[in-house]
Amino acid sequence: MSKKLVLLSLLISLMMTSGCISEAIDENMKSEDYVWEDDGELVIVTYDVTGLTDSMLSEFENQTGYEISLMKLEDAGSILNHLLQYKGVQVADLAIGLDNTYLQTAIDNDVLWEHFANFSNISETALAPYDGPLAVPFDQGYMCLNYDTEIVDGENLSVPTSLWNLTEDEWKGKVAIPSPETSSPGRAFMTATVDYFANDEDNQTDWTDWWTAMSSNDAIITTGWSEAYETHYTGGYGEYTEGYVGDAHIVVSYCHSPGVESWYNDNWTKSSALDLPRAAFHQVEYAAAVAGGNLDAASAFIEYLLSEEVNVNMPTENFMYSVLDGTDLPEDGGYRHHSTVPTKTAEVSPIDIASNMENWLEDWNQAMVAA
Amino acid sequence: MLECENLAKSFEKDLFGGFNLKLNPGEIVAITGPSGCGKTTLLRCICGLEELDSGKIILSGNDITAIAAEERGIGLIFQKPVLYPHLNVEGNLKLASKHGDIAAALSEVNLTGFETRNIGTLSGGEGQRVSLARALLAKPSVLLLDEPFSSLDVELSDKLVNDVRAILKERNCPAILVTHNRNIADSFADSVISLK
Amino acid sequence: MTNKYVAYTAVILYSLLIIVPLWLALDRLIWVAGFDILGWIGSLDENFISQGVLEFTIIQATLSVILTLAIGIPIAWQLGRYNWPFQSLIKSLLTMPFVMPSIVAAMGFMSIIGENGLDIRSDRSTWFATLIIAHAWFNLSLVIRFCEPVLSTLDPHMEEQLRLLPSGKTMWGRLRHLWIPLLMPSIVAAACMTFVFSFTSFALVEWITLGENTLESMMADIGSSAGIKGVMVSKNEVILGASIIQFTILLLSLWLMSWLQQRRQNLLPIASENIVKTNNKKGWFIVLPAIIFAILPLLAVLISSFRIRETDASGSRQYWSTEGWEYAFTATNSLPSAWDALQNSLGYALITLAVALPLGWMLAQTIRDLEQVKPRLARMLDVFTMLPFAVSSVMIGLGVMLGMIRINAEFFYSFWLTPVIAHVMITTPFVVRIILPALRSLDPTFDDCARTLGMSKTKRFFLIKIPMLRGSLLISSIFILAMSMGEFGASWVVTRNSDWTTLPIIIDSIRAIPYNNPMTVPAANAVSSVLMIIALVLFVSTEKFRPKRDGGMF
Repeated sequence: MSKKLVLLSLLISLMMTSGCISEAIDENMKSEDYVWEDDGELVIVTYDVTGLTDSMLSEFENQTGYEISLMKLEDAGSILNHLLQYKGVQVADLAIGLDNTYLQTAIDNDVLWEHFANFSNISETALAPYDGPLAVPFDQGYMCLNYDTEIVDGENLSVPTSLWNLTEDEWKGKVAIPSPETSSPGRAFMTATVDYFANDEDNQTDWTDWWTAMSSNDAIITTGWSEAYETHYTGGYGEYTEGYVGDAHIVVSYCHSPGVESWYNDNWTKSSALDLPRAAFHQVEYAAAVAGGNLDAASAFIEYLLSEEVNVNMPTENFMYSVLDGTDLPEDGGYRHHSTVPTKTAEVSPIDIASNMENWLEDWNQAMVAA
Repeated sequence: MLECENLAKSFEKDLFGGFNLKLNPGEIVAITGPSGCGKTTLLRCICGLEELDSGKIILSGNDITAIAAEERGIGLIFQKPVLYPHLNVEGNLKLASKHGDIAAALSEVNLTGFETRNIGTLSGGEGQRVSLARALLAKPSVLLLDEPFSSLDVELSDKLVNDVRAILKERNCPAILVTHNRNIADSFADSVISLK
Repeated sequence: MTNKYVAYTAVILYSLLIIVPLWLALDRLIWVAGFDILGWIGSLDENFISQGVLEFTIIQATLSVILTLAIGIPIAWQLGRYNWPFQSLIKSLLTMPFVMPSIVAAMGFMSIIGENGLDIRSDRSTWFATLIIAHAWFNLSLVIRFCEPVLSTLDPHMEEQLRLLPSGKTMWGRLRHLWIPLLMPSIVAAACMTFVFSFTSFALVEWITLGENTLESMMADIGSSAGIKGVMVSKNEVILGASIIQFTILLLSLWLMSWLQQRRQNLLPIASENIVKTNNKKGWFIVLPAIIFAILPLLAVLISSFRIRETDASGSRQYWSTEGWEYAFTATNSLPSAWDALQNSLGYALITLAVALPLGWMLAQTIRDLEQVKPRLARMLDVFTMLPFAVSSVMIGLGVMLGMIRINAEFFYSFWLTPVIAHVMITTPFVVRIILPALRSLDPTFDDCARTLGMSKTKRFFLIKIPMLRGSLLISSIFILAMSMGEFGASWVVTRNSDWTTLPIIIDSIRAIPYNNPMTVPAANAVSSVLMIIALVLFVSTEKFRPKRDGGMF
């Protein structure tokens, strides 16, 4: 009997001292203290950025002699989490794929540091959310809702004129949205809704009420954009992929996604972007040197990514806008024609995003649960 | 020469107490008594597989009471033949002595040519003979026998009793037999002790 | 009896192996979330990602048990009571599902319900049923392996006697008074294990039921955001709450199992070798579909690996090709080749074997020794060795990732063997479960006799004990290899380093490649086929050496 007591008290005291080890480890890790060396390797932590093709990477390897290895995680959220979890003991040198809804958290937690890449010619729009030395924009786009014109044609389903339409019966279970907790398009869209509902005519409700209503209306929340767009959305190329379910007729994607569809399909697509004021969000994606990593290699890659030859191909390699001045989407295949530039994007300042994001995520969570 | 002085053991009840025995070289003794009276336990204590509560065992002038079973040099034949199924007859014999004369050992128990036989093919009597041959190969100072004949039918058992006695006498090997069968005790041993 | 030092070493080593990573992980989670057990459990209801997960986990596990028993008991009955040609082949075929890695099963069922098969994937309402059926497929063999031996080795006199008594005149009477009481321990044991495996289901849930999560798969999903101060704090609470609930439920199931296994060891009157069983032609109506059911998903995997399906706006075309295999075995910057994964899998498996087998043996021996002097302590140690079952592979993975890597990330991240820690934790309990019953059934007379022949402890160990238990040792080895190669949950959480990619991980990665790439399905199935074939080979080897009636888990 006494042995059991001893064991139990040991267990309890163990639990009560919990947190100590982590506390101790966490204390002294400032980026000024990091030392690094150039070992000829470049480890890039990213999600499945299509633009990082084999040929693009080999080209860089040939030019510079660096050896690249990719650490592919699920989505932008995973990248941020990885950087935060490995703070002080980073294994990656360069993070590609954090966007302007994730970046500030990374900066605040001191996991990025200044690169010394040289480049010029980045457009002002791309620099608008952030133009400091810790991250460099490499592509951008506008998030908005895409809908399937064959079904959302005024007869079966009407084109929404307000986000509130999506909470009505006819849209039950037919809307697919990636989660803001894990996905950058999802987070961008959620941020847009904060602004959208702050500025609509209705003073009684705000954005969390809408999300609660969406949750009651069986909105499909996915972990990532791919699942929402490929598996659930009927208006895109998803029907040609294995595992297609096709139960959603409207999805959060990019305003230029219909353009990409058209470009692949010889100037035809049934998908269209929904241009509702403030229901669109200007997203910028960044390449950032990871504190403690190989700064030489990271900077070299950033330069490469921002170079003319590489960055102008963003629309066709990576399906996003380039960040360079004076570039636009290509015209062939109806790419530019079928892409929409939103009339008005959500106006949320980077400072607002930075200070409120954690709270917004908590509020979103509670809103979804309240249904 | 084996001396047992005041051996005593109890386990949930008294098994035996104040047991004394002097075994001279070449002497065969039988211990009889009804089932459950502790005969087997007594044997196991003598060869070291179990511990005594009190008493001393002296072998050839040395006190072996505290010595481990594998180092006492006392052999034991169990009630049923204990043959290792992953080895054949020769393999089982080799466990007792790597370099001993296997053929001679087998012929001593009338099992010439049985080296390569599989354990599973042996009869009860043959199995006990192999156990005996194996125990003897280990050159024990004393051989203990725990009712090895009781699982065999009468004819076979009689034959084996005579054969084993002859072998032990030939080798001048002292032995203690434990049995509940008075007749076997009388045929096998020089003297009989009753354990009550 | 073993050396006390060996016993202590084994227990301490194992405890360290389990406790250290877990404690470090808990430490990190508590550091972020604070210590509030009720709060953790409550947080499951307060978070969107965890809402309804507990209910789903319990419901699907329970239904899986029911279906598995419903299918399995009739099959066990047929196999145990009647004579069958190719008896051991049939039993082997029916056990195959169990040794398949869960990711292979997932791919198999995806093929069956996908466009190349029944084409019901797009119908949401079929997902749940498919999951339950997949679980039943997996665990069928448990029911058969637990129940069939009891049925087939029972002394026929017991039934004959009953038939001549009033209460045994009807079949129902015999069921009630003989068969059900007889089989109850085996059925409950099989039900417990099925519950445990279904409860902690990960790969199948991820792929078959989109959007639904078990506690296990949910923890895997949010694991990557755990342990970060000030970020998504509520997710840490969720993980802690989910872990505690899962731990408690599983521990109870395992305790029940362990208690039953000890009871089962009690000897029933066993028939002689010569009982003659009759044939039962009608039984083929049950056994044949069962065999087909067992094989179908595996065939589906193999066939799908050669079938390429290209779809675009103009329609779809299918053709046979080995391109999927080529794709899988070519390395790219973002994905290592299946060759690399295969080498890693084999390497990890062999090293896990080298560690888990001796460790498991020492633990089993220690438990056995304790059973004779301190049975309560023995039972506690027995259940302790099964802890990794209750803790589940995702938590183990989190333990390794959050815990060990934080101690020294440089070292652990680049140390190729780090995943082995998880593999050893997961396989050692199986070794104990297999070897312990074998040790129990080893007649101590063998050791006694060897002692009287003057054999030292070391000699007895190597010349008597090991050869006599070689069947169980061999099975344990093969189990370790199979489990290690098929391990998915812990590896999924831990593997951030492509040097560590194993076959199951790469299957998942290939399948998850987005965009319109017709190679993903065949390639994923190609690697699954490789894994499947390896598992089959390992498994067939066990069947040759399985000792009869050792009462062990298999």
